[in-house]
Amino acid sequence: MFLGLLVGGPVVLALAVRASVILDIGPPGAPRPGGPVLFGLIVWLLYIRFIVPILGVFYGTSIIADEVEDKTLTYLFVRPIPRASVLMGKYLAYLACTSLLILPSLTLVYLLIVPIRDGSVGGAFPTLLADLGMLVVGLISYGAVFAFVGARFKRPLVAGLVFALGWEPGVLIFPGYLKRFSVGYYLQALVPHAMPSESATSILLRVVRDVPSVAMSLWSLALITAVMLWVASRTVARREYVLEQ
Amino acid sequence: MTRRTRRFVVASLLVLGVGVGTGLLAYLSFPTSAFTGPGGPDELRYLPGNAHMIAFVDVHHVMISELRQRLRATMPFTDGGARRFQDETGVNIETDIDRVVFAVAQSLDGSQTGQDAALAVVRGRFDAVRIEASLREKGASVEWYKGRSIFGAPDRDAATDATSRDRGSELAIAFIEPGLIAAGSPSLVRSAIDRQDGGASARGNDALMKRVRELEPANLWAVGRFDALTARANFQKGAVGPLPAMTWFAASGQVDSGIRASVTAEGRDEEAANALRDLVRGFFALAKLRGSSQPALGSLLRAVQLGGTGQTVTLSIDFSPQMLDALTGSLSQLPRVARPRRGL
Repeated sequence: MFLGLLVGGPVVLALAVRASVILDIGPPGAPRPGGPVLFGLIVWLLYIRFIVPILGVFYGTSIIADEVEDKTLTYLFVRPIPRASVLMGKYLAYLACTSLLILPSLTLVYLLIVPIRDGSVGGAFPTLLADLGMLVVGLISYGAVFAFVGARFKRPLVAGLVFALGWEPGVLIFPGYLKRFSVGYYLQALVPHAMPSESATSILLRVVRDVPSVAMSLWSLALITAVMLWVASRTVARREYVLEQ
Repeated sequence: MTRRTRRFVVASLLVLGVGVGTGLLAYLSFPTSAFTGPGGPDELRYLPGNAHMIAFVDVHHVMISELRQRLRATMPFTDGGARRFQDETGVNIETDIDRVVFAVAQSLDGSQTGQDAALAVVRGRFDAVRIEASLREKGASVEWYKGRSIFGAPDRDAATDATSRDRGSELAIAFIEPGLIAAGSPSLVRSAIDRQDGGASARGNDALMKRVRELEPANLWAVGRFDALTARANFQKGAVGPLPAMTWFAASGQVDSGIRASVTAEGRDEEAANALRDLVRGFFALAKLRGSSQPALGSLLRAVQLGGTGQTVTLSIDFSPQMLDALTGSLSQLPRVARPRRGL
C-alpha cells in the first residue's frame, strides 16, 4: 500500500495533469507551462525531494533493523560468511528493488507529462536519461547513509525521518557550510535544469550562490557512499546486537 | 525467486524498456521533425509576432559537424574566451548549447518608436544558479517579472534616467524555463516571458511561417523582410547603388562535411527580380575577371549558381569537402602581409 502510494502517486498525478490539459480545466490566467517544464517540476519536487529520501529511509534502515526486530539476525550471522557481506548483499538487494520500483514510475510520468502543450518526447529524452541516472545515484547515496543509521541506532526509522525530512531540506536553505553535510546538496547539482526556478528553496539557493560542479558532486556522493558503507560494515561486524525476548 | 517477484521484475523492466525505447526512437527522429521541420523549432513561440526577421541555428549539429572538426584541425583557433566564459558560467559553448532562435523586431518600448530590437532564445543545458551568480557578481541589475528574474545592465544610470533599462542598446537576460534563456532588448525579453502563457508569436505570423515551411531541411536558416533590413542597413547610400524593389529574403544552410546553402530573394514584381538577377550577374562577371588570376576565387565562383524564376531570385552555394580542402590549402599558401615597422 505504502509503496503503491509512493511510486504510483506521481503516475496518478501525471494522469490528472494530462486529463486537466486535455479537458482545459484550470483557473483563467494561470500560467500554462509546457510538458518538459512540468516534468522537471515533478522530478524535482516529488522524486528528488521526497520519494528517493523516503525510499532510502524505509528500506535502507530496514537492512539490519528489520532483522533485529524480527529476531532473524542470528540466522544470518551464523552463516559462514563475514558479517559485512550480509549487509552488502542486503544493500544490493535494496538497490535493485528500489530502482525497479522508481525508474518505471519516472518513465511513465515522462511519457504522460512531456507531450503536454507541444512538448517533445524526443527533445526531452536526454533529460530523462539524466534524471534516471540521478535517481539511481540518489538511491545509492541515501541507501548507504540509512544502512549505517539502521545498523547503528536503536530506533533508526525516527532518526532517518528526522535526517531526510528535517536536516536535509533545512540545511539547504541556510547559508554557510552546513549544507555540505547533506546528500541533497550534491544531488541537486547533478541536474540543475530540473530545478524549478520559482520554488522558494531555489530562490534562497540563488541568494546563497553555492552549487558544486557535477564532477565534485559525483565525487562527493561516491565518497559519502563509500564512507557510510564502510562505517556500516564495521558497525555490523563489531556490534553485539541484543535481541529482546 | 518467487513467481510474484519474477512478475514484478519482468513488469518493471518491460515498462522501463518500452519508455526508454520510445524516448530513444523519438530522440533519433527528433532532428528532422523538430529542429528543422516544416513548422520550425518550438522556440519560435517565444519570438514576437511582428518580427522583421527570424533566424535559427542548430548549434549542436554545427559544432559536431565534420566540417568544423576539419577546420579546427587545420586552423589554430584560440579558445581562451570560450574557456573563460565556461569558467564563469559553466556553459561549454561546444556541448551545452543545442539551438538558438533569433528575431529582429520593432522595439516594444514606447520611447524607442521606429527602432529595432533583437531577441535571442537559446536552448541548452545551463546551470541557472551559477549563471545568475556570475551575473550578480558583475553587478547586473535584477528585475522581477511574472516570477522570473530579468538581469540587465548595472544600475549606474538608474538615478538619472528611469527609463534607461528599456533602451534599445541594453541587454537583458532571463531564464524563461529550465534550459531556455532569452537574451536581448529588455522589452522583448519581457514579451517572451508573456508569450510562455500564449499570445501572438512568430508562429502566428503567416507571411514569415510560410517562408520557413518552404525552406529545405537545414541546420541554420534566416527569413525576413528585405525592405525592413535594407532600410536600416542604409544600402541605398552605399557603393552598390539603388537596389531593386525586393520584399522578402530567405536563406538556409546545411553544414556537415561541406556547406550547402541557398539565398532566395522575392521581388515586388518580375521586373524587380530581373533587375536583381542582372545586378548579381554583373557582380559575377567582375568576380570572374579577378578569378582568372586567383584560383581560390575561381573555385569559389564555380560553387555558386544563380537561379530562380518569376519574382524569385535564388543563389545556391555548394561547397563540397574537397573544394573546401582545396580552398583552405590555397588560403594557407597566401603570402603573409608584412606589418609596417614603427619608428626607425
